Amino acid sequence: MSETVTRKELMGETVNKYTTRKEFFKQYKKKSRLEETWNRFLRNKMAVIGLFIFVFIMVVAVVAPLIADYDTEAITINVSNRLQPPSTEHIFGTDEMGRDIMARIVHGARISLVVGFSSVAIALFIGGAFGAIAGYYGGKTDDIIMRCMDVFLCLPDVLLALAIVAAFGTTLVNMTIAIGLSFTPKFSRVVRSAVMTVRGIEYVEAARAIGSTNTHIITNHVLINCFGPIVVQVTLYVASAILTISALSFIGLGIQAPIPEWGNMLASGRAYMRDHAYIVMAPGLAIFVTILSLNLLGDGLRDALDPRLK
Amino acid sequence: MEVKKMNEEGNTLEIKNLVIHYISEEEVVKAVNGVDIIIKAGKTLGLVGETGAGKTTTALSILNLVPEPQGKILSGEVLLQGRSVLSMSDLELEDIRGDKVAMIFQDPMTSLNPVHTVGDQIAESIEIHRKVSKQEALKQAKEMLELVGIPGERSNEYPYQFSGGMKQRVVIAIALTCSPDLLIADEPTTALDVTIQAQVLKLINELRRKYHMSMLMITHDLGIVAEVCDEVSIAYAGRIVEHGTLEDIFDNLRHPYTKGLFDALPDIEARRSELKPIKGLMPDPTNLPSGCAFHPRCDYVMEVCSQSLPENKWLSETHCVQCHLYKDTNESML
Repeated sequence: MSETVTRKELMGETVNKYTTRKEFFKQYKKKSRLEETWNRFLRNKMAVIGLFIFVFIMVVAVVAPLIADYDTEAITINVSNRLQPPSTEHIFGTDEMGRDIMARIVHGARISLVVGFSSVAIALFIGGAFGAIAGYYGGKTDDIIMRCMDVFLCLPDVLLALAIVAAFGTTLVNMTIAIGLSFTPKFSRVVRSAVMTVRGIEYVEAARAIGSTNTHIITNHVLINCFGPIVVQVTLYVASAILTISALSFIGLGIQAPIPEWGNMLASGRAYMRDHAYIVMAPGLAIFVTILSLNLLGDGLRDALDPRLK
Repeated sequence: MEVKKMNEEGNTLEIKNLVIHYISEEEVVKAVNGVDIIIKAGKTLGLVGETGAGKTTTALSILNLVPEPQGKILSGEVLLQGRSVLSMSDLELEDIRGDKVAMIFQDPMTSLNPVHTVGDQIAESIEIHRKVSKQEALKQAKEMLELVGIPGERSNEYPYQFSGGMKQRVVIAIALTCSPDLLIADEPTTALDVTIQAQVLKLINELRRKYHMSMLMITHDLGIVAEVCDEVSIAYAGRIVEHGTLEDIFDNLRHPYTKGLFDALPDIEARRSELKPIKGLMPDPTNLPSGCAFHPRCDYVMEVCSQSLPENKWLSETHCVQCHLYKDTNESML
């Protein structure tokens, strides 16, 4: 008897709590895939730290002009101020030409991020297109495209970028294109393998059975389902692109002085390293922290997007 | 000339002596070895056989979707309303797929794209074939959803938000949007549980009648055949070993394999009796037995069976069997 009463009470409570049917079912609504992935990502502490640092760097890059004026603080030579150690006025000190290192790091972040992302975008677009075609059609098409990519893959990407920059001149645009092209084969491999797994799933066959064109199937059904592995590769390769920019600038074939860039800051500070270590410390740390945050982020995304890996 | 005459009688689909092998470097899988199928307008043919009998490959050939480059159509003709599918260009094929012929796939869990809403997926077919605006296509998609018994407002939801039976209804909706002349249902209910099976079959049947479609029902469930089909073809090792109307097959079966299939059904009256499976296993399609492929498993095997392939023998206007037992007689030998 008492049980019945309890049940009735319970039911009464339920009815009161959820007035409409829709609201009642809301509590049972499955979480979306995105939500699930996001929750998995949040559980990975290192990845969240990576995300925080990276967002911080992005914000700094965006608001750079508010932190320090480009012309007066990052570019203009001020010899009377040279080689000042870190102080409240110059947090990271000043370099051999009297420019505030903090200002140069902050403005350098803009260049690194813009070149990093746009070169990866180029690599993703070209490499992705080739990889998708190779993976989807298979057979001879696949062989021809991938063997060409393999040839480029044989060359170390810094070397390939170096060759392109050396041949066409060291402008910002050339460097972006050079890094983009040197990453192209890597992206074509990633996209190809992702496309090949999706290609075999029945919904692709179903799409063909309703008369969709191949182009439509590739863009609308296949690539969109390869989103996960591609996002992971993008984050990891942005890090690698930033490193390549710094490397090129360091050896003098990338961004040219006086434009502030982490790599060329390292290079010009090298001569004063013995007595004024802070000159190279700041750009070195900037590169290190940026790359680290992107790698943590990429690893976290990979684990979150593919739970089987953990 | 003959083809034309047949068409005047209104055959939606004719498959003649179709041979499809899957050729890889190591081996040749003989999936389909001379299949003849005729489906008359508005009729339903059941294609029954074990796993690996070549049913799905036959179905895919109707849309010219046999997986390349391994799948090779070695000979035969597939005529869709008199037009040869196998000699069509890619453009013509894209026109036909989904519009004249639609297919319901076996597993609704994998045949829907997880990243698009069901409405979008239904609308895709409409957009391709009816050349209407996106809005109009989505509106029609909603109507299709209602037709298969799903509230139209759910068209904005994604496949994972649906149960298995509802997903299969969505797949059916996609197949039916352009009211095709021929519907190929490739084991549409195997992935579903029995109660949902009944609903889905009922739905397919109703809609088929409503739109006067012909249907090719691929299944290994004789119960489904009895419920849905007008004619039955029994496939074994890539050949049609017996073909007839429902009465021909269910009441007057002639082929030993067909008999084996029916004997293998559990009897609801005699609950204690043991099941009688057909002895042996389906032959390895890379290495088919000589002569009649069924002879190693056949209870009525004769010397001639391992030596030569039996011809088609027409026992009546509608009933045809491929078996050496009926060389000289029309009477049942079983």
